Amino acid sequence: MALTRRQFIKRTGLVAAGSYLGPSFFRNPLLRQALAANLNDLDRYFVVLFLDGGNDGLNTVVPLADGTSGNLRTAYQAARLTGNGGLQLSVSDLTATAIGMDITSGTPLALHPGLIGLKHLWDANALAVIQGCGDPISLNFLSHEFSRGVWQTGNPGGSSTFEGGWVGRYLAANYGGSDVPGVSISDSVAPEFLQTGTSVLAVNRLADFGFPYDGNYTDDAPFKQDAFSALYSQANSAAQATLRYIGQGGAATLAATGSYQPLSGLYESDRSGFNQAYDNLDSGVARDLREVAKIIYGVKQGVPNVNARSFELSNGGYDTHSDQGTSGADDQHNQLHHEVGDALEVFYNDCLDMGVANKLCVIVWSEFSRRIQQNDNGTDHGSQGPMLVIGGAVNRGVYGNHPNINQDALNDDGNTLYSQAAGDPYRSTDFRDVYGTLLKHWLGVADPLTLLPVDSGDPNAYWTSPNFDLGFI
Amino acid sequence: MGDQNTVLSAADARHLLRRSGFGAPAAQVATFTGMTRGAAADRLLRFTPAKFKPGGKTIFTVHNNWIKYMVTASQPLQEKLVLFWHDHFSTSNDKVDFPALMANQNLLLRTFCKGNFKSFAKAINKDAAMMEFLDTVRNQKEQPNENYARELQELFTLGVTDYNGNRNYEQEDIVQIARAFTGWSYGRKGVPAFDAEGAHDYMTDFPERGPKVIYKTHGGFGPGGRDFSQSAGEGAAEIDQVVDIIFDHNDSDGRKTVARYIAGKLFIYFAQPYPKRPAQPALKPIVDQLVAASQFDTTWEIAALLRAIFVNDAFYATNVPAPFAENDLKSVKWPVDYVVGTLRLLRMKLKSKYLYVNGGNYASIRDQLGNMGQVLLAPPSVFGWNWETAWVSSATLLARYNFANDLISARGSGSTHFHPEKLSAQLKALSTSANADPNAILTAVTDVLGVTDQLTTTDQTNLLNYLTENGTQPTLDLTDYHTRNRKLNGLFALVLQSPAYQVH
Repeated sequence: MALTRRQFIKRTGLVAAGSYLGPSFFRNPLLRQALAANLNDLDRYFVVLFLDGGNDGLNTVVPLADGTSGNLRTAYQAARLTGNGGLQLSVSDLTATAIGMDITSGTPLALHPGLIGLKHLWDANALAVIQGCGDPISLNFLSHEFSRGVWQTGNPGGSSTFEGGWVGRYLAANYGGSDVPGVSISDSVAPEFLQTGTSVLAVNRLADFGFPYDGNYTDDAPFKQDAFSALYSQANSAAQATLRYIGQGGAATLAATGSYQPLSGLYESDRSGFNQAYDNLDSGVARDLREVAKIIYGVKQGVPNVNARSFELSNGGYDTHSDQGTSGADDQHNQLHHEVGDALEVFYNDCLDMGVANKLCVIVWSEFSRRIQQNDNGTDHGSQGPMLVIGGAVNRGVYGNHPNINQDALNDDGNTLYSQAAGDPYRSTDFRDVYGTLLKHWLGVADPLTLLPVDSGDPNAYWTSPNFDLGFI
Repeated sequence: MGDQNTVLSAADARHLLRRSGFGAPAAQVATFTGMTRGAAADRLLRFTPAKFKPGGKTIFTVHNNWIKYMVTASQPLQEKLVLFWHDHFSTSNDKVDFPALMANQNLLLRTFCKGNFKSFAKAINKDAAMMEFLDTVRNQKEQPNENYARELQELFTLGVTDYNGNRNYEQEDIVQIARAFTGWSYGRKGVPAFDAEGAHDYMTDFPERGPKVIYKTHGGFGPGGRDFSQSAGEGAAEIDQVVDIIFDHNDSDGRKTVARYIAGKLFIYFAQPYPKRPAQPALKPIVDQLVAASQFDTTWEIAALLRAIFVNDAFYATNVPAPFAENDLKSVKWPVDYVVGTLRLLRMKLKSKYLYVNGGNYASIRDQLGNMGQVLLAPPSVFGWNWETAWVSSATLLARYNFANDLISARGSGSTHFHPEKLSAQLKALSTSANADPNAILTAVTDVLGVTDQLTTTDQTNLLNYLTENGTQPTLDLTDYHTRNRKLNGLFALVLQSPAYQVH
C-alpha cells in the first residue's frame, strides 16, 4: 500500500505543533493496558535532543577508510570535495575522533572533529551510534515539516488510534492529569511530547519561572491566586478544546512556578563547579542542558512536587544548504557539533558526579540527513542518518548499517535508499526500531506496539518487522 | 444566512474590529454598530498603504520602531496584514543579518499588503532579504541551490499538496525552477542585480540539464508541461515567467491552486482556526466561495478577497458568547496581538527607545514578546510561526501573565503609565466612589477589555469574590489610592491573564 501524504494527514489529524487540537484523544483502551513500571518507578531519566534542520549525517559519522566491502571512504571522497567550499573531512581531521566500525562492511568510522566531547563519552563507554536511521516516506517529500511530523508522531501511516507525539503517548499512558512528568526546555511543548492526558511544562529558564504578583501589594496575592486558580480550573473542564488546552496550561503553570523555580537556586548553590562549566561553554544548548540538570538534581534530592523525568530540548541551524564548512573554528557545522558535543560531555559528567549517569539516557535525532553529493558549499535534503544514544547504561558500539553512499546506489535526488530488505548489507534502521528499543529497554513498556503502529505494505520498503532489541541499551 | 447587507450588532462590530485590528475600543464599536457588513468591510479596507519603513541601524531599533508604529497605527488592518505576510514570506534576520534589508522588506510587505498578489510574488522574488534568507544569492549556475525554488512553491504559492491531498509539484520542478533563479544578487542598498553572463544557467551552457520545462506531471498543463525559457527569453525575465506559470497552475479539481491556497491561509488567519499546512479538505467549500465572490483567481486582488472574508457568515461564526460549546471555534491571539491590542485598549505607550513597560519588571517589549514565542523579524524558520495552541505553553503563558502584571504595576503620571480611571466614563465615575459596587466595577473593566460576554457566570462570580474578598468587602472605596491599586488594578491583571482573554 503506497502511503500518501493525504492519508497520513487525514488520519493523524496533524498533531505537529501549530495544529488545532480536536477533543477526542486517548479513548483507545490499548493505551490503558497495564504497562510495566514508568520512569519514576524505575528511577531513570530520559532526554530527547533534536537537531533542527536535517543534520548532515555523512559528516557526523564519517567513513575513515575503505572496509572489506562497500568502498565507503572512496565513495565519500568522490561525493565531498576538497578545496574552496569543499566538505570533505580528511583522514587527519578525523583521527582524534575515531570510534568503532560498521560491522557489515568493516568500515572504520570517526565522528566529526567538532564532536570530540562525544568521543570522550565513547571512550567512557557511554555512547552508542545507530547508523542509517530513516523512514519509508520522507524521501518522497524532502520537506522539513513533513519529516519532523513523521519522526515526532512515530505514526507515518496516519493511524487515528495513535495520536499525539510518540513520547506523549508514553506519558499519557503512564501518568495522570495532575502529574507533571516532562519538561520541554523551549517556548512550547515539543511535538514529540504532545498529548492531553497529563501536563508537560515548557520552560526556558527555571529562574524566571515564578508567578508574577504586584510587588507592592503582596497581601493581595492570595486572593489573586484563588481567583486565577478558579478561572483556570473552570477552563480546564471547558467543553471547547482550545479553552481547555489553555486551562490545563495555566493551571500547570501556576503549580509548577511554586515548585520548579527554586530548583535553579538550589543547583547553583549546591553544584557551583558544574554550574560554571556550563557557563564556560557559553552556548544555548549548554544552558538548556543545565536546566535539565537542575531538575534532575531536584528529583534526585527528593524536592517535594518535583517529579519530571522526561525532557526535550533542541539545537537549531542544521539546514546547511550553504556554507556548511568542515572543521574550521568558524565553520557552521563544526560549531554546531562543538556546541552539542561539548555540552553533552559536561552534562554527562555532571550526572556522573550526581551519581545518576547509569540512570540517564539521551537520544539525539534529526528529521533527516542530507544529500550525499554536496552542492556548491553545502548539502540539500535528505538521506538516512545516524542517531546517537548517550548514557551510563548504554552498550557502547556502532549499530545498524552504514547507508550505501556509492553514486550508483543513490536515487534520482542523490539520496541513499530506505530499505527494510532482509539480508541487505545496507538495510536501514527504521527510526521506530530505535524508539521501540528505548520504550522497551529503558522506559519500561512491555509491548511498544501499543504505542508505535507498524506499517503495512511491501516488507522491503516499509516497517513491517519491528526489532525492539537493537541492543544499544 | 448573512451577507454584505447584514447589519452589524455591537457584538459583531466588536468581533470585526478585534479580528481585523488590535482590540476593539468602545468608540470604534459604537461607530461600526448598525453598519452593514459590506459597508464596514469597505471602510476598513479604504486605505492606501502607508510608506512606513521602520528605521534603525540595529535590528532592535528596527523592531522597536515597528512595534511603536503598530501601537499607534491609525489603520490597524494594515499592520495585521503586514504581520500575516511577514509570517507567510517568512524571513529571519538571524540569517540575513542586515537590518536595513529587513526594513526594506517590511516596507515591501506593507506596500503590497492588500494589493495584487501576483505582483507581490514577483516583487518578493527580488527582495534582497528574501534572497539572502533562502539562498538565492548563493544559487550559482554550476551548482544550483534549490532552497528558494522549493519554498517558493511549497510555502509561498502552491503548497505541497492541494485540497484533495494530491501533490502540486515534483522534485524535478524544483530543480528546473532553481535554474531560473541563478545569477541574482543585490547591491549595497539592497537593490537587486542580475548577472546575466557570469552566473545564470543558460540552456546552451547546460544542455545536459534538459529543457527549462516545469509541471509535466501536475498543474493541468499536459504532459509537455510549460516552458519558461522561451517566450520571455532566458535571463532576467525568467523569474517573472516562472511566477506567471505558477499562477496558471490548476489543482486536481481544475481550480487555480494559488487562489485556493492563499484564500485558505487568509481565512485561517482572520476567521477560523485550522492547521496552516497542509490544505484542509474541510475548508474547500468556504475557500471556493471566497474565491468566487472576490474573483481572486483572475484578478489576484487581495483586498477583494479580504472583503469576501469580512462579509461571510463563517467569519462571524466564531463570535459566540460564553459558555463555548464543544464545536465552537476560538483562535488563540498571537503574542503581538495580545501585546499591541492590550496597549491600545489601555491607551498606554511603551517607554523610551528601549520600548519597555514602565512598571513591574520593566522588561523590554522585545524580550517579553520573545518569551511569548514571537520575535518579529526573526521567525523560527521559513515556515513562519506555529499558530493556535502552539502559542500556549507554561513558558509562554507565564510571559503573558508577566506582561499583564507589568502593565498594571506601571504607576505614575504620563502616557507610559496605567490610568484605569481614564479608560471609560464608567471607570471614571467608579474611581470617585467611596462605595463602588463590585458588579459595576467588574462590568466596567470587562467592557473596556471587550470580554464581558466571553466570561461565564462562574468566572464572574470568582472575580467578584476577588473584589469583595469572599464577601468581606461588599463595596469598595475606590477613592482610596491603595484600594484602587490593589483591587482595581488587580482585577485588570486577572482579566488580562484569564483564559478568555487569550482567545478571540
